[in-house]
Amino acid sequence: MAEEDDGKEYRWETGYEKTWEAIKEDEDGLVDGAIADIIQKGKRKRQAQKKGHSRLGMMRHFYVIVDCSESMTIPDLKPTRIMCTTKLLEMFIEEFFDQNPISQLGVIAMKGKRAEKISEMAGSSRKHIKALSQMSKTQLTGEPSLQNGLELALQTLKMIPSHASREILIIMGSLTTCDPGDINTTIDTLKKEGVRCSVVSLSAEIRICRHLTVETYGLFSAVLDDSHFRDQLMQHIDPPPAAQTQENSLIKMGFPHNQSEETKEPALTMCMCHIDSNDEPSKLTAGGYQCPQCGSKYCELPVSCTSCNLTLVSAPHLARSYHHLFPVNHFREIPYTKQRELCYACQKTFTDLEKNVYQCDLCKQIFCIDCDIFIHDTLHICVGCTTIPMAAQNIHLREPIYKQNSQHSTQ
Amino acid sequence: METEARTVDNKEKECSLLVIVLDTNPSQQIIRRDSHHVTQILDSICAFSNAHLMQRPQNKLAVLDCHHHGTEFLYPTPGRPLDIRQVDGQYEVFTLVEKTIKQKLAQIISDAPKMSGPCESLLAGSIAMALSYITRLERNRPLGTRINARILVVTGSNECASQYMTYMNVFFTAQKQNIVLDVCALDKSLTLLQQGCDITGGQYLRLPQLEGLLQYLLWVFLPDPETRLKLVLPPPVKVDYRAACFCHRELIDIGYVCSVCFTVFKSPPPIAGKPKKKKVRQM
Repeated sequence: MAEEDDGKEYRWETGYEKTWEAIKEDEDGLVDGAIADIIQKGKRKRQAQKKGHSRLGMMRHFYVIVDCSESMTIPDLKPTRIMCTTKLLEMFIEEFFDQNPISQLGVIAMKGKRAEKISEMAGSSRKHIKALSQMSKTQLTGEPSLQNGLELALQTLKMIPSHASREILIIMGSLTTCDPGDINTTIDTLKKEGVRCSVVSLSAEIRICRHLTVETYGLFSAVLDDSHFRDQLMQHIDPPPAAQTQENSLIKMGFPHNQSEETKEPALTMCMCHIDSNDEPSKLTAGGYQCPQCGSKYCELPVSCTSCNLTLVSAPHLARSYHHLFPVNHFREIPYTKQRELCYACQKTFTDLEKNVYQCDLCKQIFCIDCDIFIHDTLHICVGCTTIPMAAQNIHLREPIYKQNSQHSTQ
Repeated sequence: METEARTVDNKEKECSLLVIVLDTNPSQQIIRRDSHHVTQILDSICAFSNAHLMQRPQNKLAVLDCHHHGTEFLYPTPGRPLDIRQVDGQYEVFTLVEKTIKQKLAQIISDAPKMSGPCESLLAGSIAMALSYITRLERNRPLGTRINARILVVTGSNECASQYMTYMNVFFTAQKQNIVLDVCALDKSLTLLQQGCDITGGQYLRLPQLEGLLQYLLWVFLPDPETRLKLVLPPPVKVDYRAACFCHRELIDIGYVCSVCFTVFKSPPPIAGKPKKKKVRQM
């Protein structure tokens, strides 16, 4: 079996560990500093792992399947599992669209042995968050059915063209699943279709879930507490390596410009995105984005044109995704020996409390740990390399990761 | 009455942080035309900074200088502040700001290496530095207080397409951190920075004449974004978000985008530009 092959032992199988020795008290007898240290080390470790994918599936079609069965009422995550899950998912969805602007996401709920779509595949976060808050108010009943959930997601994902990356993330509270047929056939289909399935379990490791993730090259994790849960969700923000079944092709896209700039007195028109909805009816407005192919108007981007099916995006949306291809180099951790007085980016004065500082290999500037994390997690550019002309010239020489990999392979 | 008292109370816990990014690159057209313009711009910036500090005692200020060889903070400077005595009954902080900025700038200009030819101003990097600074203050702020941060870029440079990616990363970071980016273009109109203003909800202004710099600064950029809603300000510019194709650098309406690397083509291209299909390493 695959899980025995991967060489990772379970905690109880390893030798006797003194876990408390990792935590040291500071002079005041507090452990906060030590814990913060552990968290920051974890963050840096994740950054270091970021490299090495040769091709990324950046156009993602992502289904979140949430367990809404009775087991989600258990209050081991505060206040209850479902409340904690909805709050974290809201954050996850915001962050997902921020980092992957031309991707799409949908939500499915599993309850009473059935699966139902909470919100359809769409590219804006607002709708999903609204649907999620409604979901948490409904009654949680019965058992979940993993197979029904997967089948429902697969129905939509099957239709998606093969150049997009297809993913499913399951948040499982229950230890059991009640399926109508053989789940192994569903897993085989998922594998054949190249759908990457990941599971976050709120209770414990479940064999069938582990099997599902191993077969489809996804990730499996069981959460310890709410902050660990958050970390487990957030690792799905970055696009995964492209699946083997994924093709690379050119996709026709439209770049609409603001309609009102052409004529002095723009005509009042209705947008196509609200024309069918009942709760927010379409209004006559002057602004908006016009599809260059068929002329339908939309009030926000990115969107897929409902009449001619052209994907409409703006240039910054594409640029937003480039940082996945050009990640900032990992900074070198060096012990602080009064090399510089100040952190180059935030002007923080280094004190003797500073144990380590971080240096960029290209521009040789020194940063504090907070800036190191900020630069790699949020800013995605090195402050030193972009402000110093000598280093800024080198930045153009930085190559996308797929090129770097090909060089390594030829050497 | 009670709610009114509460809003006043809340107002006291809010602080407005203004970070000015000043471009002093000597390659700028306006400076090459007449070097006295630097003094004039600097005086206007000092007066404007003081006006910002005068509005409320909680207001904070930082000034960055983007020179041809690098970016440095003009105010606040690390270490002990200058020794300032009250002059003519002026508020000491005003004197401190003006003295520090001028002294530091003089030091930067005299230390600067000789320029071999005109070079671009690395404004995107300077904005990134300002963002890091704001993030640090945000991290260390006392509980229960709020910092409304905004960045004002004052520049007469042309923008350079090579900084496009840096600019975009900076704009989206600012948007995420709720930092407003304002731009005051002294010379040419700047399309990239216009996009930044549009993304972050800031104000863009191309100065009609340099002589009126201080007036324009006080009119357009002194009020905080909340107050601006109530003012009559220059109308927002229409920003063109069309992509330029990678083959001919032309703006296009409909293009072809590679699904792996997001390269934009005007028409289905020959295979050369596309990354070759490669075996994917699986986990």
